[in-house]
Amino acid sequence: MLVDLLFTCFAVFSVLGALGLIIFRHPMNGAMSFLVTLVSLAGLYALLSAKLLFALQLIVYAGAIMSLVVFVIMFLNIQPDQLPAEKTKVTYLVAGGVAVTPVAFFLLKVINRLPNMPVSFADEGFGGVKEVGLIFFREWLVPFEIVSILLLTALVGAVVLAGKREKNK
Amino acid sequence: MIHDYLVLSVILFCLGVVGVFARRNFFTVFMSVELMLNASNLAFIAFARLQQNMDGHVLALLIMAVAAAEAALALAVVILLHKQTGKLDTNVFSLLKG
Repeated sequence: MLVDLLFTCFAVFSVLGALGLIIFRHPMNGAMSFLVTLVSLAGLYALLSAKLLFALQLIVYAGAIMSLVVFVIMFLNIQPDQLPAEKTKVTYLVAGGVAVTPVAFFLLKVINRLPNMPVSFADEGFGGVKEVGLIFFREWLVPFEIVSILLLTALVGAVVLAGKREKNK
Repeated sequence: MIHDYLVLSVILFCLGVVGVFARRNFFTVFMSVELMLNASNLAFIAFARLQQNMDGHVLALLIMAVAAAEAALALAVVILLHKQTGKLDTNVFSLLKG
């Protein structure tokens, strides 16, 4: 079936991208690899009929946030000798994998207890801009305002931190 | 099946945890944190589909906004630290101790 095929493709690409992110040495390669994960996650959102989130994942996450990260990586002009040596990287990767395995098994057990249903395309009006917006501005108004204050604070903080002029030099 | 999406989100979250645990390069750690946020987003949206209820979409939107704020602030701090020390090691963050 087409939906299953698409899900398999997106799932494989997202896991491969995440693996590349934690394995590649240079952050630029990691960022490009993470971009693959983000785009395939957008595809998964589309399969789950989240139309608004699909668009926003592409525009905000893959477009804005990742381009900010890539911009900063390029701006710092990182040479390979500036990167941390990470001689024990493989050991730590294996150890981290062993450490999270019990947690993953616990979560999988929890998932197995949940009700399951086949994914098909939802009825008209599920996850569209209008429907999500109505819920957002009716039932989630206070979190929306708090997030707007958070974004404003982060903006001012970033400008204050990164735009600091050195006076006594 | 919805379970596949949830299992995928668990896998991505665990990869993010391993990335934070095992890497010392600042950008990689930062993007691993973003990976964990994305995994939770996927879980929220899968649950929203399961319950036929769009509150999960709203939560995923809020998580995206928080991730944007985090990216802006964290990258500003990194630029400052890189100017000061010329390194990209997360150990450099011990300089932030008062």
